Amino acid sequence: MLSTKFTKMTKEEVDRKWWEIGDFFRRNSLWMLMYCTGCCAIELPPAMTSAYDMERLGMGPMATPRQADVLLVTGYLSLKTLRRLIYTYEQMSEPKYVVGFGSCTINGGIYHDSHAVINQLDQYVPVDVYVAGCMPNTEAVMNGFVDLMDLIKSKKANGWKDYHKRYEWYLENQKAALGEVRVHDEFHE
Amino acid sequence: MTNSMNNVDYISNLVESNFKLIEKEIVNKNQVSYIIDKESVHSLLTFLKTNGWIQLSYLSAIDWPKENKFELVYIVFNWEMPVYIQVRAMLDRNNPVMPSILPIFPGCKYYERETHEFFGIKFPGNPDHEKQLILEEWDEIPPLRKDFDPRAYSDKKFAKREYTEDFVNLNGQESKQIIRKQRKTKIMNVRKGGKK
Repeated sequence: MLSTKFTKMTKEEVDRKWWEIGDFFRRNSLWMLMYCTGCCAIELPPAMTSAYDMERLGMGPMATPRQADVLLVTGYLSLKTLRRLIYTYEQMSEPKYVVGFGSCTINGGIYHDSHAVINQLDQYVPVDVYVAGCMPNTEAVMNGFVDLMDLIKSKKANGWKDYHKRYEWYLENQKAALGEVRVHDEFHE
Repeated sequence: MTNSMNNVDYISNLVESNFKLIEKEIVNKNQVSYIIDKESVHSLLTFLKTNGWIQLSYLSAIDWPKENKFELVYIVFNWEMPVYIQVRAMLDRNNPVMPSILPIFPGCKYYERETHEFFGIKFPGNPDHEKQLILEEWDEIPPLRKDFDPRAYSDKKFAKREYTEDFVNLNGQESKQIIRKQRKTKIMNVRKGGKK
């Protein structure tokens, strides 16, 4: 007969197990918040509807940042939008992941010399997966989502932990580009 | 009368008999452009509004750094008669001030804010014209002026991704870019009368 003796697990091991279970459910039901800033957003309707059917990966759209897991930044970000994006990102509950679409979030793309558009998204918020292309093919978008699931499975999607750890650095970059992160406009005052 | 050149003639007669225009141009059968001095813009717009051009479609500016001028463009539209009228006025570039047309077209409020933000033109009479609208916390000269360099601003403000040159040149081939450049300089040389 096999022995039924169990060694008592340490607290870290129990936590790790629970995280693994959590990650299993999380990666199979990702709720995404679409921040449709640029033209790459046009790739989302075919990905979501019957042509590529995102639902079979367990992904679906979510209306509020509080209940979403993935933030999709689809395209270029102007400074005005970046300020709102940081608000949105910080409102999301953890664990949270960011997917950057298109070459604009990677290196500025065709807007690399614009006065209004930032060049690298990962200077301001941590990015887990980039989908390159101008704009990326819908297959590439779907592939990016599968990559994100694999990263969650292998515990490499640690952008949100990095945001805690290097918050000072992110804040410094945000302040260098934006001056002040707080939104001052007539609708907020 | 829709789509008729008579519309343009009608508005030309109407405006020219009442106002002294600096320059006029009939762009096509739907568009007329008038340049008028800064002081009579208000009276011309009021006149046009009473004659049916009730909608301010657009208000913006053009920068002419060589002439040291800003050109303000007001575009008004009439729903009965399909003619757009562009009313243009030249402003001094060093001190660009134009009294607001808020009493005539209340819809100009946001256009004037935008123009102030992108060109630095002041619109006294519009209480909000100095509030920020699109650019937030802008710290440079207005960006649509021709002497503003967006690339230098972008280089200064935003971090650029750095790439390592990790490619390998197989067979020691000459760079196509360099060959192209050489060909171009050769062509330019021949074109200017140099030897082949």
